[in-house]
Amino acid sequence: MTEAALSALGSLADPSMLLMLMAGVLAGLIIGLIPGLGGTAAMAILLPLTFGMEPAAALAMLIGALAVVHTSDTVATVLLGAPGSASASVTLLDGYPMARAGQAKRALGLAFLSSMVGGVIGAIGLTIAIPLVRPLVLSFGSPELFMLTVLGISMAAVLSRGNAVKGLVAAALGLLLGMVGTAPTTAEYRFTFGSMLLADGLSLVAVALGAFGLAEIASRAGQKKSNEAPVSLSGGWMAGIREWLSHWTQVIRGSLVGIWAGILPGIGATAGTWLAYGQAVATAKDKSKFGKGDPRGVVGPESANSSIAAGDLIPTLMFGIPGSVPAAMLLGMLLTNGIQAGPSIVTDHLDLMYLIIWSFAIASVVGALLCFVSSKGLARITTVSFSVLGPGLLAIMMLGAYQGSLQVGDLWIMLVLGALGWLLKSTGFPRAPFLIGFVLAVPLERYYFLTDRVYAPSDWLTRPYVLVFIAILAVPALLALRRRFRKDVPAEQDAPPAASAEADGPLADSVWSLTTSVGLLAVFVVAFFLAGSFSDEGRLVPQLVAGVGIALAALLVAREWKGGSFAPPRPERDPEFHADEAIVPTSGTTLVQTPSTVTRWPVVTPMVRNSARTFAWMTVFVVLATLFGYVPALLFFLPAFLLYVAGTRPRTATIYTAVMVSIIAVVPVFLPIHLPGGIFVG
Amino acid sequence: MSITFARSRQSTTVMCVFTALAVAAAFLGGSPFSSAADTADGDFSKETLEVMIPLAEGGGTDTWARFVGQELAPRVTGGPGFSPVNEPGGEGITGSNQFARRAPADGTHLLVSTATSVVPWVLGRSEVNYDFAQMTPVVVNGTGGAIYARKAAGVEGLRDLVDREAPLTFGGISATGLDLTTLVAFDVLGVEQRSIFGFEGRGPVNLAVQRGEVDLDYQTTSAWEPSVGPLLQNGSVVPLVSFGQLDEDGDVVRDANFPDLPTVAEAYEELYGEAPSGPAWEAYTALLGVTYTYQKGLWVPGETTEGASESLRQAADDLSRDKAFNDKAAEVLGGYPLVADDGVKERVAEAYAVDDSVRDYILSLLRDTYDIHLG
Repeated sequence: MTEAALSALGSLADPSMLLMLMAGVLAGLIIGLIPGLGGTAAMAILLPLTFGMEPAAALAMLIGALAVVHTSDTVATVLLGAPGSASASVTLLDGYPMARAGQAKRALGLAFLSSMVGGVIGAIGLTIAIPLVRPLVLSFGSPELFMLTVLGISMAAVLSRGNAVKGLVAAALGLLLGMVGTAPTTAEYRFTFGSMLLADGLSLVAVALGAFGLAEIASRAGQKKSNEAPVSLSGGWMAGIREWLSHWTQVIRGSLVGIWAGILPGIGATAGTWLAYGQAVATAKDKSKFGKGDPRGVVGPESANSSIAAGDLIPTLMFGIPGSVPAAMLLGMLLTNGIQAGPSIVTDHLDLMYLIIWSFAIASVVGALLCFVSSKGLARITTVSFSVLGPGLLAIMMLGAYQGSLQVGDLWIMLVLGALGWLLKSTGFPRAPFLIGFVLAVPLERYYFLTDRVYAPSDWLTRPYVLVFIAILAVPALLALRRRFRKDVPAEQDAPPAASAEADGPLADSVWSLTTSVGLLAVFVVAFFLAGSFSDEGRLVPQLVAGVGIALAALLVAREWKGGSFAPPRPERDPEFHADEAIVPTSGTTLVQTPSTVTRWPVVTPMVRNSARTFAWMTVFVVLATLFGYVPALLFFLPAFLLYVAGTRPRTATIYTAVMVSIIAVVPVFLPIHLPGGIFVG
Repeated sequence: MSITFARSRQSTTVMCVFTALAVAAAFLGGSPFSSAADTADGDFSKETLEVMIPLAEGGGTDTWARFVGQELAPRVTGGPGFSPVNEPGGEGITGSNQFARRAPADGTHLLVSTATSVVPWVLGRSEVNYDFAQMTPVVVNGTGGAIYARKAAGVEGLRDLVDREAPLTFGGISATGLDLTTLVAFDVLGVEQRSIFGFEGRGPVNLAVQRGEVDLDYQTTSAWEPSVGPLLQNGSVVPLVSFGQLDEDGDVVRDANFPDLPTVAEAYEELYGEAPSGPAWEAYTALLGVTYTYQKGLWVPGETTEGASESLRQAADDLSRDKAFNDKAAEVLGGYPLVADDGVKERVAEAYAVDDSVRDYILSLLRDTYDIHLG
């Protein structure tokens, strides 16, 4: 075995192989930088280039790209609040607040170092897994996978401490949206309203980019003045490395969770990354900083998302069961080269296995190093006003999301999810549980039914791993209860709010959050009745989720009602409200001048107005793209937004538009990137 | 004030220029570069074969279509280009519908078919707007498969499938997909089984067999060796019956890739002492044709001129006889040759002429046994 490993390493020393690997790394880094494009796009773009290549060279290039897309997707996530991929939205939770507090460079440094080591640990895991993978995968049946999804959803409560009801309502909403499409066990269409677009379910990329990325653009692009903390670029690389080293246990734990989530088919990269974040929060003594820029919230998930990519390769190569779309494409590439994945790959193609492992490890290190040394330069992007970055970012994100399905409908889904995400964020509903619910909805239902069909409850509930999961779920709850009885301290004080940065929405405790709660209640009620028309099996889980949603939303409405939420929003919650600025009367508002006497904004606060205006522009853009195609829509939207919303100089707007449009119009000529066509132009 | 005024005037100019550009781009985008192709004479020079793959990138059908399309295009008279287009969505229905609606009938646009998009058509689902009976096949490629069972569930041979005390557990993905053919085979043979649907793919079902969660499973030919081979070696499972293949007369014959396994027809004879017949058998042979023997194919719209479609077919026929290609394509084709001889059109048309009685039988089987109500 060592011989094969060394000869594989030797083959990588060949300059042409090394060149391929580095080309893959560079391509992967660039593709990862673009929000919405990830491993799938990297494979789609690179695969056609590998036709006619030796399989070894092709593998080096593809693995090089796959290993690093989750390294560079951190950049947009941390700096702009626009998740570079669905799984990067986990890093957003703590990385973005760090960047907004002026610590962009620190956040990036931690993330890149974690990605590097996560990738290396993933590669080591891949090596060790070769003999172990069979018992490991076989020991995890449907009951264990079901418990894992339950554990994931229970993290919704962990991630919304201090605001558990809102967090759970958000999780229920995510679960419900995740059930749109074809039911996993009965193959009937649910909540699709006859649309074939919805038959496959909402695209994860569109949901994640909409709920986080578009929502961020909407709330920030409208404001002309930046009130961010100035970017701190001080501190050498050594200081960054030293700080990162102090979190080494998080790196190891995150990576191990990642490999494990990658190996298990059916969990997925996004859910796996959430699990890594969840364990970091659940095991931390001081949870108060999570969601506000805790470095552990960056290190854990970043270690995990690199090692997931490695873990993912294990079932792909050993069983021919791809855990993700990029893995499926890799499988196709192997097949066209006459290599059949399966247990025999270890005996027939051991050299290729080691080549994959070495390529992965080398690519992780090189890719992360490249990012690490450029983190200072990258961090400068936060000095550019968001209203200028916003429109270009929107154009790129929408194009990225479009590549998955090639359906213009996905742009609309993104827009709607953007509005929903903005509303949730502004009224204090944490969005992390929402996304967790969304990604786990289908696995939860699938593995529940499989478990229920295959086992009697007495059988599966007593399986050893299931007991372990039950303990993980029950012990913290019991401990909390015991503390409560012993000390008689209110639970809120016991557990300080973790996600409070997100929980304190500027529109929370106002007529806005009351209306939102009522609206969500209505959604759950409608869903409950719509589900009545499904088959018995198809309706069970949706009605259960909707029922729980109704109860929780009703509780929320009652709470808001009692709390007097008929009133307009409170200014002190608003990030745009500054005591010194309040002296200057904002035109059209009846804001009282001194902060001490200001108690309420008007119902439509300046932030709401700005966001609504940005959304209106985005809608215009999507309408134009739907009717006339992407390039014409950009030619109108970009200059208009820059001139009339961002207020840039005409010269800037001209150059900006010309450069953006040229790039977007030319790229499809060379790469398999597709632009929405437009109904009228076809 | 004059500065702001000048600036706003400049802004207006910039906006006007870009809006004019936008309008121009919108018109140019729809420009008639793609005038109707002149391919009636069978010459495809300066054309591009646009192959519609109604599924996402990655996966067996996508790999197949890209591989075959790439090899086929240069062999067509005139050497057209090759451009695969993935239009995923609605389990293959969205892209196939779009092809039926938009594709010009000049041979430059081809549709890839696979069991995923064929079964909803067989079932007559309301979402389906395409009709394979109205299209012309250029080339088809079959696959096969076989059913096996876990020995620990008390199965040593065919007879253990029937007259059981407790039903066997079959692991499935969805009753309205490729599993349908297996379900009809079970109905023909009278297998006592209880189906569990919801697995993500055949790979996970194979793992479930190894975990002892599922007793009965089938795998297609290309997956058989890697997934079932090791289990046959350690003696934990027993192969039972292969689906067989349709021959040129439409009869079920042994699959060359499973030479030692009885077909469903032979298994029936062994169990019941007579040849199978009746509506269940009719449905089985119909499904065998469209989901196995002629499963994957490239199609052109039915109105395509004979010259264009024949030119394509002949190129595919050449390809199917090329030894170098067949060596290279062994894994992608999964052990079944490309078929594009001059009788293919007729045979495929026969196989794809699914009777209403077959459809009715399948719908009632799904309704009565699996509680699935369609149409």
